[in-house]
Amino acid sequence: MSYKKKSTRMVKSGRKREKWTDILPRYLTFISHMRPILRETRRKIIELDADLLLDIEILDKIRQEEEKRNIRKVRALSEFYTMYRSNVYDIIKDFILKYRETIPIIDIKDYIIEFLYESIGALNVLRHITNPDESSLEKTFLYVLTKFIEERLFSRGRNIMIIYNKLLKYSSDLYECQRHILQPHTYYREKLERSDFFEIPGMSPKVYQLINNITSLYNLDPNFGEFPERGNQELPMILKTEVFNPYIDSIANAEEEAINQIAERIGLRVIDEIFIAPKEDLVDIMLENNFIRENKQSDEKIRLLPKLSNETLILYYLALASQRRGFLSKELINWISMNFAFLIYMGILKWKLSDQNIFYPIFKDLQTNEKVLPYLMKLVCFPNYLGLDKLKIRDSPQYRKEIFNFIGSQIDNLKEFINEIADYCEKFDKERKNN
Amino acid sequence: MAEIQNPTWKELLQQFNKGLEKAIDELEKRDAENIPGAKEALVQRLNNMKLHFPKNNGDIFIKSINDKIQNAFFPNTKIFSEAFDKILKSRSHEQDFIINELLNGFVTSKAKAIASGTQGPIINRMVEAFSKRNDFNIIDHQFYAMFGDPNKPRHYIKNQLEELVKMFGLVSKELVVKKDVRRSEEKVYTFYTFPDDIIEILEEKYLIIDEELGYAYVSDAFDRNVFICMFLANVSINRDDIKKIGGSYTINGISAIFALILLLSFMPKLSVDETNPILNDPNFNEDNMSVIPKSWMMRQVLDPLFEPLIKIIAYRLGGGLWLTKIIDSEINKKIMNQIRFLLKDVNKWILGELVRVEIPIFVEIANIFTEIVVGYDES
Repeated sequence: MSYKKKSTRMVKSGRKREKWTDILPRYLTFISHMRPILRETRRKIIELDADLLLDIEILDKIRQEEEKRNIRKVRALSEFYTMYRSNVYDIIKDFILKYRETIPIIDIKDYIIEFLYESIGALNVLRHITNPDESSLEKTFLYVLTKFIEERLFSRGRNIMIIYNKLLKYSSDLYECQRHILQPHTYYREKLERSDFFEIPGMSPKVYQLINNITSLYNLDPNFGEFPERGNQELPMILKTEVFNPYIDSIANAEEEAINQIAERIGLRVIDEIFIAPKEDLVDIMLENNFIRENKQSDEKIRLLPKLSNETLILYYLALASQRRGFLSKELINWISMNFAFLIYMGILKWKLSDQNIFYPIFKDLQTNEKVLPYLMKLVCFPNYLGLDKLKIRDSPQYRKEIFNFIGSQIDNLKEFINEIADYCEKFDKERKNN
Repeated sequence: MAEIQNPTWKELLQQFNKGLEKAIDELEKRDAENIPGAKEALVQRLNNMKLHFPKNNGDIFIKSINDKIQNAFFPNTKIFSEAFDKILKSRSHEQDFIINELLNGFVTSKAKAIASGTQGPIINRMVEAFSKRNDFNIIDHQFYAMFGDPNKPRHYIKNQLEELVKMFGLVSKELVVKKDVRRSEEKVYTFYTFPDDIIEILEEKYLIIDEELGYAYVSDAFDRNVFICMFLANVSINRDDIKKIGGSYTINGISAIFALILLLSFMPKLSVDETNPILNDPNFNEDNMSVIPKSWMMRQVLDPLFEPLIKIIAYRLGGGLWLTKIIDSEINKKIMNQIRFLLKDVNKWILGELVRVEIPIFVEIANIFTEIVVGYDES
């Protein structure tokens, strides 16, 4: 008889519950290998007489010498090391070749040293982004940046109204980002109708369009019916058929069948199988934010007149996703954490590197991104940060490749937000140093 | 002169006038406005349109569609680079929403149209594949390595690349390596890039060519919309080959979106009371937005306007061929219904009011109308 206790938790085979102490070292692996290369290179350039830089072959020789010192045993690391170093030297060579006729070589040397210095600084921040033992969290970049972004794009709060109001506060500047993190680019893998009513998938383009339809129909010509929970009030209602009427060739069949779930995600409900009307909590939110107006009628009943904005229902979706963050679909979790990891990474780079830094492309290179972002995504999922189910973060090589797609889908508003994050980094760093 | 004698065009103008009459009738019966004077402003605008649009053989339509809409989003040329250049030049943050919607318009018209649901994300791959290298090329093997799924046969990704190459008209070059490093076998690499004339256009803003080093980098501005512009340019130059551009759904979809642009441009601006909460809403910017009447979006008003308008657009874009492809049935009504909810980033709702963002295309078309009306009043 075996006394080995069986686990009561169903975890897919091959998937271990990874601890903070498992993931952080993996995140640090590549970062901590990049910094020494840049530091060594910087030292070599400082030591080198400026005039010698004009002879490109000397740089090649230095690189070859450095490569001989490669003592990494792990093949992946060794390959990365070589690739990274050769990229650094190639960039330096190109920079010299391009400007040697126009800029004095002594200035070129200074520029290279300065760019290397900035890059080492960026890697230093990335390396010390958090504490291994998670102590003094509020003094770490990972924590404060996650909270800074979370407050704006995926706010927390005791109830949905608080979350909604926080999101709305930032929507005038960041609505496109807020909408973006709800729309995973792998939406075609999502199932709209789920046996688990609680699970929230991302917003597909068609669901987004449906939400626009619903918003317009409420503002244009709503019907009114009794508010089930409040006898003296009348709710605005629209016909379910009117929402789906525009679709040809049954292309919105899946959405029509899942209308109860879709409605629930945007604060609505289906009444008598015919009408779509707001739920009580959405009505309260809308009343507080002027998205609905009370109109007393001659029969003493209060009619609720809708005055919706584009973002009214979308932000409810986002607020609900934030409130139920433990029940998000795999696609949505991957998408949200990817966006957070990307924003943190790019924010730090923007803060530390000047726009003309010649080493920027190395940091933005997909080979670097795929080494850093997947682990950063997992780190931001831990309970002290976003509190998402990190077991749903995919580890497959295919998924790593999806990061490439994701980066290609950047929007302007995200770029603006990255600048804001960079400014915040500067501010936080100053405050930290002053204390 | 040919236009004057053209009975089809004349008939279309008459149909539009009848549509305006019906819309005015419907508007008199119903009211969705909550701004005093909004309904009256709309009725007056529709009456003005009825009066001025048929003049000079539908001059307002011809100028608006031929000179403005076509030039910005659907150039009338057979030269791909010229079409691409024009669409690319009309890009701005807000007009990008229209360009995106034109792609999505195809998606929503029919599931299997040109740009199906999964092709959108694949366009993102193109951006990254080009951004990755400093010679502005995509290499087949690199593309497979970047995006191929190790659990699926390679032909999936091969087909995807082939499809993209075809869709964007990329040109290819082959490089034969006698002995590759890994297996010492002969290997053929295919490089894909844009044709020279396209590269020349991209050079202005999206591509940085470093002649000294022989590098070609993409700039930060190089994004997915560059590809969507190419996609549109491709559709516009192949407008006579209906099969090539995805069939009648594409024609109906694109005509309907342009009809919406036209209609939005002609809507009158409303002045709102200084106590109106919209003025305090942070999403409302008085400098580049204006409140417009929303009654035109009611189905009863919109249907009689849209039906002839879609035909007018189709006729101006693709002549009789396109006109015959406008589906005159319930499906058409569904398309009209679908379209009224599009372009929500520039035809947006703020606190229950319909707001038009004054992007260049709306302003330019509105100016044509104003010029003609003022000219008429003066004469």
